[in-house]
Amino acid sequence: MDNNYLKMGPHDVGGEESLPIDTTDSDMTHWEKYANALRIVVSSKRIITLDELRYFTEALGDKYFQIGYFERNCLSLHNICIQKGIYDQELFQKIKSKKISEFDVPIVDLPDVGSINHIHDGKPHSHNVSDFQEDESGDGPPDYYFDTLAIAQIFINQGLITNDDITLKIEQFDNVFPNRGKAVVAKAWHNNLFKEALLKDAKKAISDIGMELETFADIICMPQTNTVHHIVVCTLCSCYPRTLLGMPPSWYKSRSYRSRVVHEPREVLAEFGTIVPESKEIKVHDSNADMRYLILPPRPSNTEDLSEIELSKLVARDYLVGVRLPK
Amino acid sequence: MLELDYRSKAMDTKFKINDEITVDSRSSAGHCRTPAYIRGKKGVIERICGQYPNPEEIALCKKDPQIVTLYRCRFKQMDVWDNYSGKASDTIELEIYEHWLIDA
Repeated sequence: MDNNYLKMGPHDVGGEESLPIDTTDSDMTHWEKYANALRIVVSSKRIITLDELRYFTEALGDKYFQIGYFERNCLSLHNICIQKGIYDQELFQKIKSKKISEFDVPIVDLPDVGSINHIHDGKPHSHNVSDFQEDESGDGPPDYYFDTLAIAQIFINQGLITNDDITLKIEQFDNVFPNRGKAVVAKAWHNNLFKEALLKDAKKAISDIGMELETFADIICMPQTNTVHHIVVCTLCSCYPRTLLGMPPSWYKSRSYRSRVVHEPREVLAEFGTIVPESKEIKVHDSNADMRYLILPPRPSNTEDLSEIELSKLVARDYLVGVRLPK
Repeated sequence: MLELDYRSKAMDTKFKINDEITVDSRSSAGHCRTPAYIRGKKGVIERICGQYPNPEEIALCKKDPQIVTLYRCRFKQMDVWDNYSGKASDTIELEIYEHWLIDA
């Protein structure tokens, strides 16, 4: 790319060559859900803005792609808090040690004697300790989880947020947000007037059916047609209509997707199993600022008799980003 | 907290829909939402999104960030990439703040 000298940092990847895309979406662990919820709560309460978080994430330099997405979020949040004087290192370490100690409990109380005698089948019977195995094993939560818990605890102690705020956000990301986009698309398939309203002004149409997205961003809905195929990316970070679609899938946040989809969309779509005929225009939307995008897939054939609820079960998240089409 | 009608499109805007534009090819320091790959490229205004606080200033915790017009701009992929292998009609659209746009 001839514009390499203008690249702002490790995050500015649009147009780079990169690896094939891992199109599977890996599930989030609890600590990732917690870290995500904290970030959303903190930014929606404007304690720290999204652009501040982005700025500090971009400033991580080489570390940007050496650590994972949620680790980056956690580290940049911590760095902002230190810079803004929300807390100092001493307080942070003190609260973090306390959080670590809360996890320092044995998972199972294994007997500490050489053998255990008990009775079964009516007879005394003995076991060696080595006959038992821990129910759970592994390394325990990652250190970033303790960082995240400590940051959250300091915010809670300062009265800026509550634990319920975080719990509610986790719950919404698990059970509410991922279903909204599907319901909206099913309604558009079922109701032509709603479809027209959605394409004209998506944020208003969605609000008018009682779905409050609690977002500053505007929503733009683009319909897949016989002549145009739409696909969405955020090359600079991971902008995504989260309160409408839930968490972005892991591939959406990946370096390979963000680098490649802008300059070789047909190849990327093929990796998702979507072959776009040469006769179709591909329109890539780089969701790089204050708009968020919803792609309206075509209604599958032979669904004329289905109800809105039944239709919503045919909507897959991947359709709404434009990487796949209903069969 | 910023309480603005971000979507207000009534304000005077420098560009209108279908105007030809070029994205400024200057470099930037700090946080900015104009990706490197689109700088210096020619396109047209697809729509006017409204008035938004300048993210470059929000990132620096400025209390009263400048309010700027945000546009969606359409570019032909052939005009963005030297060796674009897709169709001539393929396009890419991005959101660009007014202070990054110059007349074509």
